[in-house]
Order: sequence, then structure tokens, then C-alpha cells
Amino acid sequence: MTKRYDAIVIGAGHAGVEAAHALAVTGKSTLLVSLSLEAVAFMACNPNIGGTAKGHLVKEVDALGGIMGEIADKATLQTRMLNLGNGPAVHSLRAQVDKNLYHRLMKERMETTPNLTMVEGDVVEVLTENGEVKGVKNAMGEEYLCKAVVLAMGVYLNSRIITGNYSRATGPAGFMRSESLTDNLIALGLDIRRFKTGTPPRLLSSSIDYDKMEIQKGDEGLPTFSMLTEDGIRNDKVCYLTYTNKDTHDIILSNLDKAPMYNGQITGTGPRYCPSIETKVVRFADKERHQIFIEPEGADTDEMYAQGLSTSLPYDIQEKMVHSVVGLENAVITRYGYAIEYDCINPLELNAALGIKRIKGLYSAGQINGSSGYEEAAAQGLIAGINASRYIDGKEPFLLRRDEAHIGVLIDDLVTKGTEEPYRMMTSRAEYRLHLRQDNADMRLTEKGRELGLVKEDRYTKYQEKVSQIEEIRANLKKRYKAEEVKDAFDKIGESLPQGSISAEEVLKRGRADKHTLLAIDSSFNDFSPEAISYVAVELKYEGYLKKEEQAIKEARRMEEKRLPADIDYLSVEGLRLEARQKLNDHRPMTLAQAARISGVTPADVNVLILHLRKIQV
Amino acid sequence: MKDTIVATATPQVEKGAIGIVRMSGERALEIVRKVFDAQGFESVEPNKMYLGRITTKNFNDRAFCMYCKAPKSYTGEDIVELHTHGGKIIVQGVIRELVALGARPAAPGEFTKRAYLNGKLNLAEAEGLADMINAQSEAEVNQAYRLMKGEVSKGIEQIKTMLLTASANIEVALDYPEELLEDTISPTLALLNNAKTELKNLYETSKSATVAREGVSIALAGLTNVGKSSLMNAILKDERAIVTDIAGTTRDVLAGSFMLDGVNVEVLDTAGIRDSDDPVEKIGIERATRAIEGADLVLFVSDTSEEESQEEKDLYASFKNKKIIRVANKGDIAKYPRECDIITEAKSGKNVDKLVALISESLDLNKRLQAPALTRERQIFAVGEALEAVNSAIDGLNINATLDCVVVDVKTAYSALASLTGEDVAENVVEEIFSKFCVGK
Repeated sequence: MTKRYDAIVIGAGHAGVEAAHALAVTGKSTLLVSLSLEAVAFMACNPNIGGTAKGHLVKEVDALGGIMGEIADKATLQTRMLNLGNGPAVHSLRAQVDKNLYHRLMKERMETTPNLTMVEGDVVEVLTENGEVKGVKNAMGEEYLCKAVVLAMGVYLNSRIITGNYSRATGPAGFMRSESLTDNLIALGLDIRRFKTGTPPRLLSSSIDYDKMEIQKGDEGLPTFSMLTEDGIRNDKVCYLTYTNKDTHDIILSNLDKAPMYNGQITGTGPRYCPSIETKVVRFADKERHQIFIEPEGADTDEMYAQGLSTSLPYDIQEKMVHSVVGLENAVITRYGYAIEYDCINPLELNAALGIKRIKGLYSAGQINGSSGYEEAAAQGLIAGINASRYIDGKEPFLLRRDEAHIGVLIDDLVTKGTEEPYRMMTSRAEYRLHLRQDNADMRLTEKGRELGLVKEDRYTKYQEKVSQIEEIRANLKKRYKAEEVKDAFDKIGESLPQGSISAEEVLKRGRADKHTLLAIDSSFNDFSPEAISYVAVELKYEGYLKKEEQAIKEARRMEEKRLPADIDYLSVEGLRLEARQKLNDHRPMTLAQAARISGVTPADVNVLILHLRKIQV
Repeated sequence: MKDTIVATATPQVEKGAIGIVRMSGERALEIVRKVFDAQGFESVEPNKMYLGRITTKNFNDRAFCMYCKAPKSYTGEDIVELHTHGGKIIVQGVIRELVALGARPAAPGEFTKRAYLNGKLNLAEAEGLADMINAQSEAEVNQAYRLMKGEVSKGIEQIKTMLLTASANIEVALDYPEELLEDTISPTLALLNNAKTELKNLYETSKSATVAREGVSIALAGLTNVGKSSLMNAILKDERAIVTDIAGTTRDVLAGSFMLDGVNVEVLDTAGIRDSDDPVEKIGIERATRAIEGADLVLFVSDTSEEESQEEKDLYASFKNKKIIRVANKGDIAKYPRECDIITEAKSGKNVDKLVALISESLDLNKRLQAPALTRERQIFAVGEALEAVNSAIDGLNINATLDCVVVDVKTAYSALASLTGEDVAENVVEEIFSKFCVGK
């Protein structure tokens, strides 16, 4: 008998688990299919979650009711806040995560989520009828029927790993790859391309001489990724920093003919921001050294990750290269670095809801869309899951604008501009970064998550508590302090003493002051949560800059809110230049603002479009 | 709050009967009240013409004003229309004044954009307008193309590159806090200072070129009965002013104009300035003072048949902030030669041609017209906006504001310049980061 589900998610990586969870939580009977259940939420590359822009994504996923933050907090080994020397818009939480624990906890979460069924299997075909999704079929011939499918196959489509002249048709870390699904996607009319990425060697901790390296400890007193996390998180593991040197570079340069990136073995497009060490040495020949961070892969393993040493050089060259680095002279390599090539979908095939434009009910998320990174995948998985669920309910898609979330920027970039290399999120991609901070992710998104049905009572109560605390703090900001009351705190940070008295609000607005200054002056503020105080302090201090951004947002928003009907025949719109007609026809933007962002569409074209819209809507 | 935008609603011709300046947005009425007044205008009724007076920094004019209340207006926002006399100088002057008071020059098609976004355009209007707007945008394209090819755009491109590099320098420090080994901030300050200098030059030359193209004004000033009116007639080659030997003949400000090097020069003859109890003359003197203040150049006329009085010295000293040509008139009966730039005989016309040459030289007309410059209020406004933002960024770096804030100003400056070409700032910055810095895992 054929099994029926509301929705099926193909792939249980970081995108797939979020999509399946969002579908199940919003009441859809969901099947999550994975090539291997040992690979659920497997961290195939670096052992960390968060970092610049990526930390923001995790916070946003959490605020909407996603699960990456919760599980990351439970599997954390060390936590740091990057960019503390800079403003709050770029403060970025990053955690070293126990890979195996993360996998186990996420698998358990999938197993215990109501409406969610996990099954191992190799999906070879997405079944469609009249341009609509009907179900999927696996390699054994078993068919499952459903109303919506989310593609989340990560880097597993026809993947091939390469180390020197060794090459093998396999997924990452020896997991099975998907061999037939690409052909099926091509048959469905999708534009498929080939990307590449890579990973560094793993080293045995006991063979490393840490005395020669700089130690990096975690920071104390940091917030967590998830609002739901109440227990303290683990923060006792350390990382180490060392550098490449001239010897390392010489070894690489004299063996470039054996490097798959340079001898033509690899044809896929790699990411510029995540270059292999051979690429770095070639492209930045004037640099005398590059950083290498040695990070734990987990609490129960002796393996360490060598961040900065991503490579696909032959095993013997990798060996020499590693041993040339200070502290790694006797390091034992447990796994060699490799490059991996894989098939992925041109994201221009997608609309802003992450739906495949040409097939109703088919959604796509994660590295399969040409992005890179666990966090980027999770963010897309969440949105694809939400929209697949809304599609089943016959509801309008849920879209986040560029001024609402880094998630909005990520998806808009992918589906509007496309990408020619694996896309990584960066805060600089967001025009309105000061508004898209991690300290206000919940303020921006939790109400939306509530409306979507993803934010449940526990999270919503906590959110409301924070909101009411913020109001209370603001009411208390009128409190005034005499000069002698603030003297100690001001002396400490080098701020000049006020004439007469100063209000709490004025204290927070001082250049060098932050929430700690206020807490030192008036301990009654300790009654409030640090997150609530941080939020108030940041909003006050950056008021002027926030207003500048707000003005720009307001101007842009009107264009952003103007939806374009899905059935406009751009090719016949009078007055549009030919190039614009074709670009618009290819991209099929969802809003007027998106149309304006497409390269090749000029402001004059947008005006013509505005008038055309008016014409067809009256 | 949304911007209030302003633009001329009638074609820009040198001389037309009427020029209409239109302003749309929440602050339209508030702003217009600062330049326009009429009986009953305090409690203005919508859709009614008010005849009143426009007072700008440089001139006054009689005008009609009409107010359309949101949402019952073309754009769906508050709209104010000023119907002035049709000279280009008047229309541009009014717009300049409104911009100084807080309005923003409208981008091409922006009124229509707002009208559409506010749901104000119906089918018939939209069809009719489609053709009109297309025509406008093609003219725009041509204009932009000419600008793109010229020296100005090269200059702008250079400034944009500086801002792009500055912004990439900051972004790389923000996105790669752990991996970046070099200091990218010190060079950024230098870049911003360079950009500031370039923007300032461009802004000033553009402004001065625009002023020159749209006309300059010179005022004749001096004590009574020194021959200012004769000199005006001689310059204009016309009996524009009444000339008598009676001191204080000229009461009001008289204006006439002539073309000089292709530029319209307005000559203002003013009442001779002296202590007077005559109420009419007093008003004339007040007006003279205002006209002189607004003029680009003052011809300070003295009578060499009379001894240089303390009054004359004081009057001359009171113009020390103005650009001045000292004209020693009545050279034919000069009894008391004095320090001057030129000696003329207004009655016979002797040396008046030399005076005119001196005027051209002094106003730098040729050079101002040839300097690379932007031509449109909108472009000059954009450069002004960029300049302001760069200044703010430099201030930010100097007081150690955090970089995520400083970069807001750098991007604002870049966007202002990019609005002349229509590029996307974020993507460019990302491109720049990758081409310049070694970052990544």
C-alpha cells in the first residue's frame, strides 16, 4: 500500500531537519528521508556554529521557532563573542560544537517530534503531475505520495571527493552519495551546475605541541543562541592558534602541479571566501603567513580540526605541509583534507518563498541552492519548511524582507542575483545591518514565528517577559544620579563627570559607557535580564545611526511591499527595453523592489513596470 | 516620515509666462509657508488659488499658491504648487530656496511613482502618462550618457572608488575579526579625507557653474548722486534709469539685464545710501542694502569730483565681505583721484567697455562655465549629500565611533553618488573584499 504524507523532505542535513521540524510543528504529517540516518545534522566540515553573520542567522532561526540554536547550545564546548571591539551590529556569537553530540541530539529531536517520521532511503525521483508535486520514489521502487516536497540534499548529488590524484565518487566523510536524483531534476527542467568546496585535514590532539601555540579560551557571561536555553552552557574547551610560514608556502608552491585545483582535475566553482591553503598562497603571494586555528571536533574524541588548512593536495604533500607548521612538527593526520565537487540547483530557479518556480509544491533549501555553511542551510530549511506548509494550507508564502532579517538578505540575494560560487552570508551583504542585530532578533521575528504557529507557549511567554522588562527599564531611565554616585564607574571607563546630576539614559548615551556602567552605578537594574538591558542600551546609544538607516528603510519598503502578479507577460510589456523584458521573464521577481535589484533592469524600466502594473490591475 | 520632494512642473525655458513649482509630501505646507504669504493663507483652504508674495534669500516675486490636501491630490500626499513668473532663474531660485528649507529635489518620475504607490493613478491617466514618462526617461538617458562620458563622471568614479575601498576596508574588519592581520582603518581615514576634498571641489564648481549658467547679478552701490544710474544706462546701453543731478533720484531698486559671455547679467541700480528722514527714500535705502547683499558682485561707485568723505569710506568698508569693483566715476571732472580699479565717464561712456570686461574677469565667467560641473539640481544635491555623509564618517572615525556605524555614513555617501548611475552598493563591497583581502577558513 502506498504511504501518504502531507510533505516529504529529502535530506536530513542542517536544512532538512529545520524544514521537517517546521512542517511537523505546523501540523503536517512529514516524512524525512536521508541516505544515512548516521548523517542526520552531520557537521561535515568545521566544528563550529555561528560567527559573523552566521551567528545572526542562528539567532533569527531561533527567534522564529527553529531548532539549530537550541541544539547548538546543548552541544557547545566553548563559546565566544566575536567583534566585541566593534559595534553591536556585528557582535557575533560563535560556539565550538561537539559534532557527534550535535548529530545525536538532532536525531533524537527528529525522533521525538510529533507528526515527523524519519526513514533511511535513496530518493531517485520526484513524482509530478501537470506541473505539481505528487510524491517521491526511492531506489528500491517504493513510492510515497505527498502534497509538497522540500529538496535538501546538501552536497550529496553526484558528489566526488578529491585528494591529489585520488578521487572517489562518494559523499563527504565516506557517506553514500545520491546518483540518480540529478538526472531527475534535469528531466524536470531545472538548471543544474557544479560547485566545489573543501575541508582541511584532522589531526590527533595528543601529537600536537600546544606549548608553541597561542591558547584561545572561551568568553564568560555570554548570551546563548536560543531563548529557550536555561541551563548554563559548557565553555571549558580551548582552541589554539598557530601560523603557516615560508617553508609551508614553499612546499605548496613547489607541488602546485599535483594540486587538483591547479592541474585541471577539479572543474567545479569554489568559494572565494573559503579558499584552500594552496589558493591563498598563490593569490596572496605577498603574505608571509596565514593563521591556523586548531579546534576540537568533540569532547569524546582526540581529533582536532585545522581551520585554515583546507586542501586537496596529495597525502604526502599534506603531511609535509602540516609538519612545517610550528607546533605541528609531529602531528598525526587522522583524516586527510579533500575537495568535494557536487551538483546544485541554479537558485534563479527559485522564488523568494524558496519554491521551484516551474513546479508547484516543490521547495528547495541549503547547499543544494548554491549556498555554503550550516547556518545558511538551516535558515533556508526553516523558510522552505514554513512555505511548504503554507502551500499545503493554501496560504500566501511567508517572506522576510532585506530590512527584517539576515535571512531575508540571504534568500533575496540567492533568488534575485543568483550566485556563481557557494554563497556565504556576511553582515556586509545587509544594507540595514544596524537594525539586524542578534540582540534584537527576537524583537524582530518572534511575533512572526507566533503567527506562523512555530513559536509555542514556552518561547512566547519568555519573549513577552523580555518585552515587558524592556518597557520597565525604559520607564526607569529617568532616574538621576549625582556626580559622586557615578564617579567610580566613570573613572573606570575614562568618561568625564557630569555637572550636577545625570540620568540613567544619559549615562547609556555616553561614548564609552555600556550596560555594565549603568549596573555599576545602580544595582537595581540587576533585577532585569541582561538581554533586556543590552537591548535598551544599544537602541539608545545608536539612536542617531538607527534613525539614518530607518529613513532609508522606509523609502525602500514601499517598493518592497508592492507584489508583482505571478502571471505578468514581461515579454509583451510595452516600453520595457528588450534586455529588461528577458531578465524579468527569467527571474520572475515577486516584488517591485526585487525587480529593481535584478542586474540589467534600470530605474527607467521599473517606472515603466509601475505604470504597466497599474494598467493591468485596474 | 517620508521626504518632501520638489520639482518644476512646467518645461524649463529661459523665459515663459508662468513657471509652476510643485512640492509633495508631509512637510509641503510647512515649508511653503516659510517662503510664501498671502491674505488668509494661515487658514488655507485646499484647492484654492492664493495671490501673494514669495520671499527668497535673493529675490521676491508675486505668485499664486495652491494647496491640495492628502489624499485628494495627484500624488495622494499633501501637494503645494507655486505659480511664479516664468523665468528659469525665478523657478530655479524658488526650488533652491525650498530645498534649503528641507525639501529634496525629486528624482525623474518620482511624483508619478508616488502617485502610483499611493494608488492615485487610474487607467486613463496611466496610459497618457506612460508616453510622457518614457520621453522623459529617454532624455534622462541621454543626459546621463553625456555626463558619463565627461570629466565630471570620471571624477565621480574616482570618488566612488575611494568610498568603495574605504567601505571594503571597514567591512573586511567587521566580517573577519579573527582572520585579518593588517590594519585597514588608518588608510581609510586618508581615503575619506581625499574623497572629501574632491567632493568639495566638485560641489563648489558645480554650484558656481550653475549660478553662472542661470545668470549672475551685479549691484551698483555708492553714495547719492555719484552717477550710478548713468553708469547703469551706459552698461545696458539703454536709458533704463532716470538720471538727474538731484541727489536721491533713484528710490527703488531698478533692474535691467544684458548678455555677457553668454551669461545673463542682471544689473541692479540702487538708491544712493545716506542718512535720510524721507520715509520713501528710507525704504529705498533698505531695499538697496538687501539687493547689494544678494548680488554676486558690487560696483562701488564714487564721484571723483568730490572729496572722499568719511561716509564714503564707511560705506565701502561695510561691503568688505562682497566681491567689489571700485569705480571712480566722473573721470572727466576728476578733482580728487582716489584708490580704484577703474576710472569711468558714465555720461560719455568712456571706459565703460573696459568696466564690462573687468566684470567678466572678476566673476570668472569663462572659467566657471568651462569647469567640469554637474548641471542639475538633483545631481548637485546628491553630491552635497555625499559630502555631508563623508564629513560625518570622518567625524565618526575621529571620535572613535564603532565601525559598523561609520560605514553607514560611507555607504550613504556612496549611494548618493551611485544614484547618479544606479548601482547596488552591497554587492560591490563584497566584490571588493574578495579581490583585495585574504580571508576565509
